Amino acid sequence: MKSKHIPGIHQQNQTDLPVLHSFKRRYRSPSEIGFSEWLAGLPAWVPFLVLLAAAAWPMTALAQGSNYTTGQAFEALLRWIPFLVGSGFFLTIVISFLTMLVGTVLGVFLGLGQISQNRFIAKFCWLVTQTFRNSPWLVLLFIVMLSFPFEITIGDTIIPIPDWIKAVIGLALPIMANISEIVRGAINSVPTAQWEASESLAFTRFQTLFQIILPQCIKRMIPPWMNWYAILTMATPIVSILGVEEVLNLTRQAIEAEDNHPELLVPFYSFVLVIFFIYCYPIARLTVRLERRFAVKL
Amino acid sequence: MKKMISFLTATAVSLGATSAFAANCTNDSWNKVMSRGKIVVGVKADYKPWGFRDESGKLVGMEVDMAMDVASTMGVDLELVAVQSSNRMQFLEQGKIDLMIATMSDRKDRREIVGIVGPNYYTSGTNILAPKALKFNDWKQLKDRPVCGKQGAFYNKIVEERYGAKVVAFGGNAEAKQALRDKKCVAFVYDDSSIMADLASGNWNDFEMPLKTEDDNPWALAVPKAEEKCVFGQFMSGMQYNWHKSGKLVELEKKWGIQATSYLKTQKDRYSDWIK
Repeated sequence: MKSKHIPGIHQQNQTDLPVLHSFKRRYRSPSEIGFSEWLAGLPAWVPFLVLLAAAAWPMTALAQGSNYTTGQAFEALLRWIPFLVGSGFFLTIVISFLTMLVGTVLGVFLGLGQISQNRFIAKFCWLVTQTFRNSPWLVLLFIVMLSFPFEITIGDTIIPIPDWIKAVIGLALPIMANISEIVRGAINSVPTAQWEASESLAFTRFQTLFQIILPQCIKRMIPPWMNWYAILTMATPIVSILGVEEVLNLTRQAIEAEDNHPELLVPFYSFVLVIFFIYCYPIARLTVRLERRFAVKL
Repeated sequence: MKKMISFLTATAVSLGATSAFAANCTNDSWNKVMSRGKIVVGVKADYKPWGFRDESGKLVGMEVDMAMDVASTMGVDLELVAVQSSNRMQFLEQGKIDLMIATMSDRKDRREIVGIVGPNYYTSGTNILAPKALKFNDWKQLKDRPVCGKQGAFYNKIVEERYGAKVVAFGGNAEAKQALRDKKCVAFVYDDSSIMADLASGNWNDFEMPLKTEDDNPWALAVPKAEEKCVFGQFMSGMQYNWHKSGKLVELEKKWGIQATSYLKTQKDRYSDWIK
């Protein structure tokens, strides 16, 4: 029964005829939520491992004639946690919330401006977006910090502008530009047939945008928007360079108040790392989940 | 009552001061403090025991106590603002703070920017914390070697220029000391009183302060430049004079566990009343 040779089963499938292979996608565009994907991909125990390592590390690396023990360092950390979280990390969250609010409102206008039919407005909004999207955050912060007054006097009333408000303005600029790009991208991702269909139903451009296109965009914008929130939150410690008393700055001051023992460095800074993780990790997980749920199936 | 005090002080000071300055004095800061009923003082939040935070986040320390005394003498409320070495003079120039008591060394270039009034309330010199094993005995041995320091200290530049040391400046003392332990630098250049306190703590037994203290430099508080020769400046001179005379500074030094300096004792004797 060896006479039957069925090509592809008894032997390699061979042919001289041209074959159309299935389409293989070579290029993958970079993910819009890359940061969240990376963060959500970490196992939840990673930062706690860092803390454990912090607890074990100084015993081997240090111990150069110092009486100050790691135990004392962690005890000091425990005493400071209420203040660091209640005052420092609270301000970090306030800054990130307000920055996101200001950045989103301005960014939506800027993004809509980018798709304006008025060429001048479109060019202008594009320029603003690209400028702030591609500027170093710290430079923007310095400009805002140094150019804004610390208080405004209107008549007899004095309105103080604390440093953290200036930080919000400084951070909101790059966020605004990135939200602008998200809005522009989301609107452009809606198939043009939608525009044509609504035009044929006598919708005006304004009506089309706000009743047809934008409602479809919102779902697409939420994951990248949340991704930017997580990036922003992680980036807020840079405002400590400018003297804003958020969690990193207060951590430094706490180390100073505990007499600057080098043994304090690792436990205190690891703690800051862990609270940032605890806050941003669920956001990243949710972002990835929403992204999967809203993904457009082609 | 507040108005009355300010009026009386203004009168007293303008009588005392030479009339040449009288025409230039608008006393803006002083009047602002009095009309608000609040003085804003810039103090350190990262310089124990002069200005630091307690566990509830409140600013405390020797300079904070001095600021409290100023506010209660003026009869106004006290608001403390944490300043850093890098922004303290700027805050005063901008008017964000009315008075600065922030461990600032009294330097000539600084006198051109802010209103520094005497007599100086403290002094400290520069020295190094170095491992005993390195056996330093001369500043010149630091040439071309890495030395850790803290950002914003004026003597970083001096040590570099005079002795050719390579200063690596850190944002915090703990970081600088850790670098010293990690042998990233051969010494930590800092205030002698602070180094003495560290050595006394028993946590630095393998280390010493081997060199002769240099650049003994008085510390100064500062008012806005425009106020230097006006009510506010004169008033702060008087406050400092009386702190020395009454021995309040020596008391505070003891209260905050600062190594007793001969400077404060000499000043106390110098300004003491001739009628005992």
